Amino acid sequence: MSSNEHSISLRVNGREVSAEAPARMHAADFLRHRLGLTGTHVGCEQGVCGMCTILLDGEAVKSCLLLAMQLEGADVRTVESLAEDDRLSDLQAAFKKRHALQCGFCTPGFLMLATGLKSSGRKFSRDEIRGELSGVLCRCTGYDGIVRAVEDYLGDGEAVG
Amino acid sequence: MKAADFIYHRATGVAEALRYMEDYDGEARLLAGGQSLMPMLNMRLWRPAALIDINALSELAEVTAQGEETHLGALVRHATLETSPLIAARLPLLATMVRFIGDHQIRRRGTIGGSLVQGDPASEMPLGCLVLGAEINAVGPAGARMIAIEDFYDGAYATALEADELLTEIRFAVHPPHFAFHELCRRHNDFAVLSVAATGHFSADGGWHGLRIGLGGVNDRPVLAEASMALLEGSSLSDADIAAAGEAALGAIDPPSDIRGSAEYRAHLVPRYIAKALRDLRLSAQG
Ligand SMILES: Cc1cc2nc3c(=O)[nH]c(=O)nc-3n(C[C@H](O)[C@H](O)[C@H](O)COP(=O)(O)OP(=O)(O)OC[C@H]3O[C@@H](n4cnc5c(N)ncnc54)[C@H](O)[C@@H]3O)c2cc1C
Ligand code: FES
Ligand code: FES
Repeated sequence: MSSNEHSISLRVNGREVSAEAPARMHAADFLRHRLGLTGTHVGCEQGVCGMCTILLDGEAVKSCLLLAMQLEGADVRTVESLAEDDRLSDLQAAFKKRHALQCGFCTPGFLMLATGLKSSGRKFSRDEIRGELSGVLCRCTGYDGIVRAVEDYLGDGEAVG
Repeated sequence: MKAADFIYHRATGVAEALRYMEDYDGEARLLAGGQSLMPMLNMRLWRPAALIDINALSELAEVTAQGEETHLGALVRHATLETSPLIAARLPLLATMVRFIGDHQIRRRGTIGGSLVQGDPASEMPLGCLVLGAEINAVGPAGARMIAIEDFYDGAYATALEADELLTEIRFAVHPPHFAFHELCRRHNDFAVLSVAATGHFSADGGWHGLRIGLGGVNDRPVLAEASMALLEGSSLSDADIAAAGEAALGAIDPPSDIRGSAEYRAHLVPRYIAKALRDLRLSAQG
């Protein structure tokens, strides 16, 4: 319904952008299809799998449960913000070192969730990390490497942004 | 799946939100955290004509201490309850229970008002508010009214609010000194199979007074185990008292059979989870 398309202006990964979206479009589809940022994945579209996790004004949220319209004026960060050219961020390097991915489909979700945990400034025990990470599902790894990578990163990694 | 088409409005104040709701005559939905609403839209279980986004209503996002009372705006996020020192000090039962809601991301967005209006029978905030005897403030075209939490639910996912009313605030009296909470989940971050919250006062004579025991997930709404509460008045919460209270609670439940467990299983668990909560309560008075 083209009459129900709206222009949305926001900041994504430090850049001001604007694009059109229908009212009913969720934020994950907007990032992927209107802004070409396909690093944010889509799994269930009902808030369960966490593949679509992004940072909205610094907090990790599921972008399939947000409307594109709700991004107006927001500051969004996606997984594309982490690496600089070919250089992995500390968090990504920790994932590599700890073998925290196999197929990689869940990885953007975990990376953005962990980035949100870091920016909260709180300290987490390994058990607490497991609890916090329960908002992203992984069908491959069995989670152990992911928990260790995030523990490395929250323990002594550099804050990203 | 993708949501069906709707008109989107961003309200800038309560009065404007109410006006939109009147305009759509019951066909519009309020959008708070979206953590229940958006899945329903994406699955096309709901197809409202319009969504009225209330996230910009910062006047509904406040936690305030009003003398002995604590007031929570409808838009206070689960994450705020989790981390606010004021909540930890004044509403510790809610601060404890909120960690059992969904996962990290859901708690960043979900709101207490949205949780209460959604009214899932296994949801934590409705149970916590019931045990704490909260009062709910709503506004509609006819003005504001207070609803006691005991009168707030008509059934599963059904509240006493009219379609054109907006929940604005939840008010709590002084929190009892002792509290305990237990729930059983099939999976970390899923809704509970059942949950038990209890509060009480322990007096110098060695007896417990004003105990409140609430049960979630074992009825079409959270319920108080009133017979158990009466039985325990003045008791020392001995193991025998606790066992009797657990049995007495069976009269208050009408558990569902669903994907998370059968009615028989839930009934089997009720006395056991009441015992866990009451033993914790007893222990909390010994430190
Ligand atoms: C995977 C997953 C797991 C979850 N697990 C749990 C769990 O374990 N326990 C739990 O309790 N919840 C759980 N939730 C739900 C979560 O707590 C929601 O945040 C909550 O149920 C709704 O709050 P909301 O602010 O997101 O409301 P919304 O989704 O925005 O709204 C829900 C309903 O309330 C109405 N509404 C919202 N605010 C108001 C208001 N101020 N006045 C009148 N009507 C209003 C809306 O119109 C809508 O009908 C889970 C959700 C997901 C996706
Ligand atoms: S796609 Fe958003 S949680 Fe699954
Ligand atoms: S690495 Fe394949 S789903 Fe996690």
